[in-house]
Amino acid sequence: MPLLTTTKQYTNNALQNNPLHIALFPATGPEGQTQERNRLEYSFMLNSSLDIFEARMPSKTIGHDFGLLHALDERIALYGWLTNTGVKLVVVVDMEGRTAPSPEAAKIAILGLRNSDLTPAFQALQTAYIRLLRNPFYVPDDHDPRTNRNRGSMEITSPRYIKEVERIGKAWYPGITAI
Amino acid sequence: MASSKAARMGEEVWKTRTEKINLEVLTLTYGTLVSQLTHDLRDPATNIPDYAAINTELDRMGHSIGLRLIEDFLAKTSSAGPAPCNNFRETAEMIAKVGFKIFLNVTPRVENWDKEGRSFGLVFEEMPVSEFVELPDDGRAQEELWFLNLFCGVVKGALEMVQMQVKAEWVSDVLRGDDTTEMRVTLIRYIEDEMPPDDE
Repeated sequence: MPLLTTTKQYTNNALQNNPLHIALFPATGPEGQTQERNRLEYSFMLNSSLDIFEARMPSKTIGHDFGLLHALDERIALYGWLTNTGVKLVVVVDMEGRTAPSPEAAKIAILGLRNSDLTPAFQALQTAYIRLLRNPFYVPDDHDPRTNRNRGSMEITSPRYIKEVERIGKAWYPGITAI
Repeated sequence: MASSKAARMGEEVWKTRTEKINLEVLTLTYGTLVSQLTHDLRDPATNIPDYAAINTELDRMGHSIGLRLIEDFLAKTSSAGPAPCNNFRETAEMIAKVGFKIFLNVTPRVENWDKEGRSFGLVFEEMPVSEFVELPDDGRAQEELWFLNLFCGVVKGALEMVQMQVKAEWVSDVLRGDDTTEMRVTLIRYIEDEMPPDDE
């Protein structure tokens, strides 16, 4: 069972990408035990994927979906989405298998992920972000390194948004049609 | 009886005689107004928003709006034949079912009258203006800022022009985590007609 592990949003300047929000979801083992993920490791992974957006931009056709950005190894793959305002959404998927709940279920093989599997997750994330933007007290400029003057943390602090991302991450599974 | 008549009048005026705009334009404009005030009205020493001053400013703006808005209200409702309200209860019905209906398309419930009939609560089931809003998470906005304070000013200003001095204030707001959104309106006195000073 692939797990949605990380999502990250960046502001739009290519030279000054700034993480808006990172959500990590713990790895789930065979007996349901969970293991926390290393924040730094995933932060590197996400940062390394940003150049791929820039590289693909010239040949990009219309649409938000960047599809598979980068398959890191047999387990980890990164998928991308770009909004009209240049905010990048990246989802990292861990393809580590889970013990099948029953012998029958084990016979149905899940062969990787299709590109469209992540579309609902990205759409839900984008909707959550739009909802955040509609709040008049959220000022996007305060979260942009070029315009922010007070040099504090520029991550999103809205509890409603963070909760929604948490919910999307937990609800998503391959083949879901809407979150 | 007066209540259903007021409701019908509100519906009628809203349908036929009100110019409408996209709701989100209004919602976002109002949100921006309050948000801008939190930027402008800051304590110079600590650089944190002065929410008491913001409430006062919203109230003042609303008051000026109300003074002029009553004119529009009377013009729009005149052909529907509004007799002057006979008592404060009728006034309350008019505010809730006609006033808020034609300008905001919401109809608050009139509740919680006090014993003397001089004070009532307007309970808003829905408030389109605060739909997208999340108050700033600085530990103070939730206790100190009344996001909708402009509307208190509007009610005060409008009633002042029809010889009623009232006190209007919010007592609860869902944005602060309360269960309801309620505005308390209290009649202070009827203003007697005062002749302008003789300028001969």
